[in-house]
Amino acid sequence: MRHTLIFGLLVSLLLAGCARNPTTAQSDPLPTISPDDFTALLDGSDVPVVVNIWASWCGPCRSQAPLLRQAAETYGSEIRFIGIDVNDTQDGASAFLEQYGLDFEQYSDPRSSISTALRSTGVPHTFFFAPGGELRFAHHGIIDERTLAVRLDDLLR
Amino acid sequence: MEFSLLAAALLGVALALLTLRVERIRKITDRTDLIDLVLGSAVVGLVIGRVAAMVLQGTNPFTHPLDLFLVRGGVDTGFASLGALGYLSWAARKDLWQTVDLIAPAALAGLGGWHAGCLMRGTCAGVATTLPWAIHDGTVGRHPVELYAAAALLLGAITLVMVRKRLPSGVPALLALGLAGGVRLATEPLRVGFGSNPAPWYLAAVVVGVLGTMIRVKAHRSRNISGS
Repeated sequence: MRHTLIFGLLVSLLLAGCARNPTTAQSDPLPTISPDDFTALLDGSDVPVVVNIWASWCGPCRSQAPLLRQAAETYGSEIRFIGIDVNDTQDGASAFLEQYGLDFEQYSDPRSSISTALRSTGVPHTFFFAPGGELRFAHHGIIDERTLAVRLDDLLR
Repeated sequence: MEFSLLAAALLGVALALLTLRVERIRKITDRTDLIDLVLGSAVVGLVIGRVAAMVLQGTNPFTHPLDLFLVRGGVDTGFASLGALGYLSWAARKDLWQTVDLIAPAALAGLGGWHAGCLMRGTCAGVATTLPWAIHDGTVGRHPVELYAAAALLLGAITLVMVRKRLPSGVPALLALGLAGGVRLATEPLRVGFGSNPAPWYLAAVVVGVLGTMIRVKAHRSRNISGS
């Protein structure tokens, strides 16, 4: 039993050593956007838009961040990805974005005005808009790769 | 709170336990520790798969230990399978082949139940199709790919329950491993995805299953010839 515990601990340490450490944010503060400007942005888009509501203190947001990065890398030329950071600090948000390499369009929403306008009830919340701003789908909670892939595929049809 | 993932997992466990129950009714075995082994393997596989997914996603399990419970955030299939098989091999090391043979149909049934749980999770849809049995989730019809996988796995479990007595020791378990990998490998092109590519893991399971079966069958025949 003792050997098993020691082995488990060693494996855990090795795995933890492989993880990237949180880094100190060096980037510029995130811009803010008003609900009216945001609606205009969606209405005026000639490509589909995926909006992800997130926060750096949100565990599920951490879990799905790498997936969103991959999605943006894969579909970024056809779909516009936007992140809305709600109820967060600029330092926390910048560190989060840097740690997970999220380099798509991001806005800060310290008073949750955008998420309220979208009727978002919590984080993470992902919205899928067709060109012209029509809301096609909304997914509350962590989104898995298959679900996200099907939604993105639908947006492109 | 999202409970559909839990419901899918419970369906998988329920079908695995039902299969073990059927085996006991058919008097194939009277062992009572098989349920513990199945559940133990599932839990160990889940934990290792989740930790591996966190590390691969760039989240440190020690700085964010509670993220371990965010199973919906991802479980690495390959590491989870290795963890489950590793635990099973260790826990049943005294009579490995006999034990894994007894568990094999239940494992297939459990996997089938997990895939069928897509009905509760709303994640059955694969690539677009115009076939009459397409499911409509969004703007187009799509292959119910997870239901294909569920049906194939459940059929495999039933077949294995029926023919197992006639198979040499170790072969039922190896066939189950190959079938589980083969079903996933065959249905993978019907899934929509990006980024992850678990196909090599499934291919490895097929290769180990097929080669292992051939070796066990050959060894069994050699023993029979030398015995007679």
